Amino acid sequence: MAISSARESLSHALNNRFLPNLEYLLQGSILDSAVEHLMHRLKGLCDNVDTSPETFHDLEVCMSLRQPNTNQPLMLRVRRALGRDAPFQMRYLGQPEVDQRRPTLVRSCMDCACTNGILDFLTEMGFRLEFEYIAKGYMFRKGRMKITVSKLIKIVPGKQDMANEPISQSYIVELSVVAPTGQENVGEEMRVFAEQLKPLVQLEKIDYKRLGNIP
Amino acid sequence: MSNSVNISVETTCENQIREIAYDGTELYQPPPTLSESLAKCAARIDFSKTSLEDLKKEEKSAAAAEEDAKDANIFQESLWPWDAVRNKLKDAYTEICVLSDVISIAKDKRYLVLDPLLEDSDDTKPIVQVYTRKKAISQAAQVLLSGAERLRNAHSELRNPNVKDFHIELLRLRQNWRLKKVSNGAIIGDLSYRTAGSKFGMSGTFEVAKAEDVLDEETTTSNANSSGGNTPNTQISTNNGIQPNGSSSLRVIVPAELQGVAYIKVITQKDQEDLCTAQVNLMGHGPNITAQVGVWQKTLEFAQNVLFCKELFAQLAREAIQLQAPIPHVVIGNQIRATLLPNIQLIISLCHSTSFDSNQPAPINDHDHVLEHSLHQLLREVHYKNSHHPFPHPASAPLGPSKKRMIAGPTAADRDSLLEMTKTQTILEQIIAQAQHIFMRKRTQYVLDTLARDVKDPQIVSHWNAMNSPTMSCVKINIVTHGYDAFGRTSLVIHVKERSLKCICRDGRVMRLSYEPQELRDLILCQINSHQISCLVSLARCMAWTVLSNSNHLGIGKVEPLGNASSCLLASPNSDRMIAVQIRCDPQIDVKVYIARSPRQDFFPTPLVPEKFWENLGGNFKEVRFDKIEGKSFLNKMEFLMASLTSNTA
Repeated sequence: MAISSARESLSHALNNRFLPNLEYLLQGSILDSAVEHLMHRLKGLCDNVDTSPETFHDLEVCMSLRQPNTNQPLMLRVRRALGRDAPFQMRYLGQPEVDQRRPTLVRSCMDCACTNGILDFLTEMGFRLEFEYIAKGYMFRKGRMKITVSKLIKIVPGKQDMANEPISQSYIVELSVVAPTGQENVGEEMRVFAEQLKPLVQLEKIDYKRLGNIP
Repeated sequence: MSNSVNISVETTCENQIREIAYDGTELYQPPPTLSESLAKCAARIDFSKTSLEDLKKEEKSAAAAEEDAKDANIFQESLWPWDAVRNKLKDAYTEICVLSDVISIAKDKRYLVLDPLLEDSDDTKPIVQVYTRKKAISQAAQVLLSGAERLRNAHSELRNPNVKDFHIELLRLRQNWRLKKVSNGAIIGDLSYRTAGSKFGMSGTFEVAKAEDVLDEETTTSNANSSGGNTPNTQISTNNGIQPNGSSSLRVIVPAELQGVAYIKVITQKDQEDLCTAQVNLMGHGPNITAQVGVWQKTLEFAQNVLFCKELFAQLAREAIQLQAPIPHVVIGNQIRATLLPNIQLIISLCHSTSFDSNQPAPINDHDHVLEHSLHQLLREVHYKNSHHPFPHPASAPLGPSKKRMIAGPTAADRDSLLEMTKTQTILEQIIAQAQHIFMRKRTQYVLDTLARDVKDPQIVSHWNAMNSPTMSCVKINIVTHGYDAFGRTSLVIHVKERSLKCICRDGRVMRLSYEPQELRDLILCQINSHQISCLVSLARCMAWTVLSNSNHLGIGKVEPLGNASSCLLASPNSDRMIAVQIRCDPQIDVKVYIARSPRQDFFPTPLVPEKFWENLGGNFKEVRFDKIEGKSFLNKMEFLMASLTSNTA
């Protein structure tokens, strides 16, 4: 079957449900003192941990665009791996829906790899810097689940990297799966996995609306 | 009657003594009046007992009840004597009223419907009771017996030091293999490669049992059979099972299809005739495993190997059928045939022998261990790729796409390169490529070695690179003449690929050769030609001879595309002698040398050539019997020749 244009192929992918556009997310946090235990736990549970766990060191920049008719700005997150030759990742996250029937938080999500000119491009389009931070930590995978244990580091504007300091004395633990629509068993799979981390870290769906303006 | 004695008869005190005065007189209670005794009797009526039988029973136990009744009397005397009777009657009246209400409601059937109760069919026949008791007792007896059996076993294990380490062995087994306990108490293990990334469907479960003596074993197996085990493939008869020797207290039961020894045999064959001899040796080949039987580790390793070989063969067979080869691959039974090059076949066969006989046939000579190893390696790579996906960077990127795929968007990859990414070489394709390469390498080696043996004059030295990839190797060829290394050295590099050769000459020419060995042979011969001529030219310069002309390609002979006969024309320092050299290389190297002298020493004028100066034109070449000239090599002989011609003129 020949697909002529990019728009057509996108709609084709959406209709046939093989475009992963929903993110299932569970979040929790753990104190610095206990993170070692969590790492051991994850090493035991996850796939391919015969080598040391994969580390990452990313800079995330959130850009927002005020739109005339809506009061909700359009937010795009651009993430870059520091000290690594990898393309930038631009990410759009939709409004999270906290459904009581679902075990996880579900939000629509679009990922796109970009060149390093993306930030300039967005600025030209009228996007403004909303916030930025550095996430540094470890990454695990179990099947299609991705588990990140990351430290969020504040960026002090106008200063060099030396001045950056962690936001809190704890690590954020995220369990996420990006899947096409209509795969309801993902949530259950994640809930079972989160159960296994239970005494160490409580992974929950966090309602952002209740947290107010905190990103 | 005279001595009659008066006896006073007194009635017994009928009345109760109410009081005894200080002087001993007893004050009696006055006997009850009629009304009082009636009241007393009425008070003794038990209104709860109504039926006649109850009344009769009541009379029997009247004596006992009398005492209580008296107490009640005394207690009730303070009240109005008919009070109890009235209360009872009042209660009875209330009950009658309630009963009439209930009956009226029941009759009305608007509020209440009365249904007859089901008769309790509890007619317990004695024979049934006997049976149930018997059953219960036998169950209890079974519990006791099994407990006693277990105690006895434990006790005998304690006495027997060989058997008591079952749990220790189980612990060791658990450290190396995946085990789980299922509901009926059996221990099931898994030896499949599924956790390592395999997607093969065949199950690799095995059962762990305690090794007991043969009688017990048989009973346990029969029990297991009767209870209907959970997985059918763990059910095997003890005849098929690998019997342990006495040293191990743990026994693993491997499904029948995983027993024995399996390996993949890879043969490359040149001619059709070889096929038959190879097939004879198919069965019964393999290491003698009787010595290792009984050690569960070995048993499981063998079984795992069998599973692996089966997966590998299944994968290859599937690919062989799917692949669109110019000459289709053939899958017959447990054999796959693929054509590598014309007349050369690759045969991959799965050998699975379950017999443990020690009389093995002689090992097969042409079994290619390198290719077998490559096959195993390739499947392991597939497994590894199935389970090891690269981690995305930055961490928010999606999990799954390869690194190449990730940069496809930002680098604006076109449709072709994206399609290229989706292509993966199957295991069969890779192994065929490797086999072809191995064959090409061997062939190239053979051609170079025979040429080096046959051609003595310029020496052919080939250096094979020790480091090479499975489908590409490299050889550097130097052609030198012994003793004249300084004059010239011809070198070329040959890249040996899967079905072709790539030759890079020193002057930058690149030639692509097919798999035919004759092409390589011709090329090397031509290179020898040009080597000889170029060396001769430099030697002549060195000896002050003049090079009048030289040509590497005279355009004669058969080996046209790669080069052919070459020639050279030399003149002596004072130009009175000339040497012409022609080297042909079809099919052998053939050197022809001619000399000419001008002017000739002896001149006789003829009518056609009247003057001597016409002799300066030259011509009249005479062939030298080159093989008679002294010298070890072509250059050496030429040096002698030139030297002698020069000295003659001097």
